[in-house]
Amino acid sequence: MEYIVQQVINALAFGAEYALLALGLAIVFSIMGLVNFAHGEIIAVGGYTMVALGALMIGNPYIVIASAVVAAMFASVMLERFAFRPVRYADPTTGLLTAFGVSMILQNLFLLFVSPRPIAVTSLYFLDWPVNLFGVQVSSLQLFETGATALVIVALMLFLRRTTLGIAMRAAALDFEMVRLVGIRANRVFAVAFLVSGLLAGLACIFIMARRGSVDPHMGFNPVLKAFVACVVGGFGSLPGAVLGGFILGAVEVAMLVLLPQEYGGMKDAFVFGIIALLLIWRPNGILSPRIEKGDKV
Amino acid sequence: MTRGLYGVALISIVLIAIGVATTYFGSRYHLRLVYGAYVNLLVVLGLQVFMGNARITNLSHSAFMGIGAYVAAICVTPETVKAISLPQAPWGLNAFSLDPISSALIAIAITAIIAALIGLIIVRLTAIGATIVSLAVLVIVHSVFLFRTDIFKGNQAFFGIPQVFSLTSIVILSVAVVFIARMFRESKWGVQLRASADDELGAQASGVNIHQVRLIAWILSGILLSIAGIAYAFYLGTISARPFYFNHVFLTLAMLILGGMRTVTGAVLGTLIISFGLESVRWIETGPVVLGIDLPEVLGLSGVVLGAVIVLTMAFRPEGIMGDREVEDLLLKP
Amino acid sequence: MLAVDQLSVFHGPIEAVHGISFNVAAGQCVSLLGPNGAGKTSTISAITGVVRATGRIEVDGEIMSDQPVESRILKGVSVAPEGRRVFANLSVEDNLKLGGAIVQNKANIRSDIAHWLQTFPVLGERRAQLAGTLSGGEQQMLAIARALMSRPKILLLDEPSLGLAPKIVAQIFDIIRHLKNEGMTILLVEQNATQALKLSDYSYLLNNGKIVAEGSAEKLGQSNELMAELTGIA
Repeated sequence: MEYIVQQVINALAFGAEYALLALGLAIVFSIMGLVNFAHGEIIAVGGYTMVALGALMIGNPYIVIASAVVAAMFASVMLERFAFRPVRYADPTTGLLTAFGVSMILQNLFLLFVSPRPIAVTSLYFLDWPVNLFGVQVSSLQLFETGATALVIVALMLFLRRTTLGIAMRAAALDFEMVRLVGIRANRVFAVAFLVSGLLAGLACIFIMARRGSVDPHMGFNPVLKAFVACVVGGFGSLPGAVLGGFILGAVEVAMLVLLPQEYGGMKDAFVFGIIALLLIWRPNGILSPRIEKGDKV
Repeated sequence: MTRGLYGVALISIVLIAIGVATTYFGSRYHLRLVYGAYVNLLVVLGLQVFMGNARITNLSHSAFMGIGAYVAAICVTPETVKAISLPQAPWGLNAFSLDPISSALIAIAITAIIAALIGLIIVRLTAIGATIVSLAVLVIVHSVFLFRTDIFKGNQAFFGIPQVFSLTSIVILSVAVVFIARMFRESKWGVQLRASADDELGAQASGVNIHQVRLIAWILSGILLSIAGIAYAFYLGTISARPFYFNHVFLTLAMLILGGMRTVTGAVLGTLIISFGLESVRWIETGPVVLGIDLPEVLGLSGVVLGAVIVLTMAFRPEGIMGDREVEDLLLKP
Repeated sequence: MLAVDQLSVFHGPIEAVHGISFNVAAGQCVSLLGPNGAGKTSTISAITGVVRATGRIEVDGEIMSDQPVESRILKGVSVAPEGRRVFANLSVEDNLKLGGAIVQNKANIRSDIAHWLQTFPVLGERRAQLAGTLSGGEQQMLAIARALMSRPKILLLDEPSLGLAPKIVAQIFDIIRHLKNEGMTILLVEQNATQALKLSDYSYLLNNGKIVAEGSAEKLGQSNELMAELTGIA
């Protein structure tokens, strides 16, 4: 029983991390059809910010966390401004390939200017301690992660429902030109989308860093690959879909860890991706995606 | 069609000229480099057949190349070598060996079957969906390579593959593949596929079976990629799982994008530019001494350049250098 | 109020409108009439700035033609576009809220929403409903109300009667007449020439991207032949 509860909490924590990242991808995709593969490098920017603070002997956890998040938001907005603006109205493939290119550039810049090797960041270890939750041993980090994700989802929902800009972003997912035609500046909508996306990546960065304790140029790649998968599963562009997809992916991963015999551990990713591919065959557009009309829009 | 042949001839002249020049003037090191570029050319051409005509981004091409390479390597490597390198191989894989031609045919057949099975799924999906499944294929195949060390040796070198090919063989091969890719593009299927990429509903309405033509292109693409893998294994003598993963996927993708994925000429042009361009960048990367100045080592520069090539191409010329024009369109009147 | 001079509109390489000029004076309702493909919607799109165009567009003496879409809206242009394009995934109220996004004073937005929900009681009844669930006529009313939320100097109406039942069409034209009587400057694009002529102060007939006739309702109405040929409605 205790084992099951532990694994459920494991799945929730994994899922929360994927959901955070997937939301960041989905919010950008929903308004501009861009699959932002460079999202992972935004996480790395947060990580390297922590390294920089460490070098400056700044260890105050609040400053470290705040700076990492702010740096991620800033980097995300800069990407929109300089890399993605030229392909703003291009087809998804052009956007996807641009994002691959940006991701490659950033990874190699980290490699070039910082180091190809992992650098230890210990300032966030304090977030992780064992907690006894109703007799079950769990990690505080997992609870933080699940809690923070829940909070973020609620905050995001309020933003999207209550503020004019939030409402505009929901409208933009459907008809961007019409949003401009009511006088809302396209640049602002894009900037806010990337700002929110960067914020989500920054938060995910905190948890990723607290868990792995080191940063390297390629650290963002795997998490974003998973987030990408989560988005696809949930239905690309759908925000609830991204959250659902994230948690499904977390559950599948933990199930694989639990169910697969020890010696098959190396095949975990293969099984996860296999299951995801099967899911897509069953629902080609993802679970929660709106029906896509292939004809001309009137 | 005649125009197409004219285009193939022009490209072939260039490919043969580079091959001849390298054979006569190049060092052993240059030979290896140019051979590598021709292998990538085969990959990019194989990629173009599906991605360029159907305009669906494929990320699994390096996996198919890997399957071709490994199957051919396992078949062709002598038992004596395999007894040392694969002592635990199941199903008697280390207890036989075949001649290169049979090995290559088996490799092509197995890759084609795997491609067909995966293709049945891929062709039914929307563009983004197909891309993610192709990504899943890449990850799964790579995991299998890494996991079954008893067959593939994972990240360690699979060694002892006899050197069957020379630069001459791959030049001939690449001319043949240019011909195949070009003929497919101009064939009924190729035309239908391109039409459906422009206007899916319209093509469907005029009786094009999109799934079928996509599947044909996908399988042909898989076959060409396996040939690239075979050529790779038959020259280098050792292979490992690492070259068949993301780095290679992006490298070849950048080549196709830069040249222009819609045309065979674009595929060739992009491959040549990036292969030779990147080599110069790699030279700078190592921190050479230029005019008496000892330049610093700049690891990662080639990655930055490659990424920049993709980003700038997408921003300023998303259809690539060639766009919709093949080489003969530049020279002949329409 | 609105002055259009030598306007040409392009869709890719194709020129859809060839150097037309026309004016809408303050408080007037002017209509652009003509058959399908005449270039009416292209003209509207050029005024809002969503398509590539050359020529000069002025609103209230200010040149619009070199400004991005959003600035034109900010400076008093507003449109209820062809096909209505209400935000189907938002409630009626949120649609209106976005319509007023450029209005600075929050209290004004609230009072305007209240005002238009009162003017269009059907919308008032459905204020929390998703716009996508409304009928065609209701969506058209919402599109017009949304356009009015920005307190425009000039209202562009693109085919407001398209695809609606005759009874609803009459309702929509009543609304337009009401707006005109309240002093709104309107540029109306219509295929339904008979109805549009009746309420317009001045009309232009477009065909193949050119103005082929212009004048008051009486003048254009007299030329039955022309009307029949161009609009298919005798």
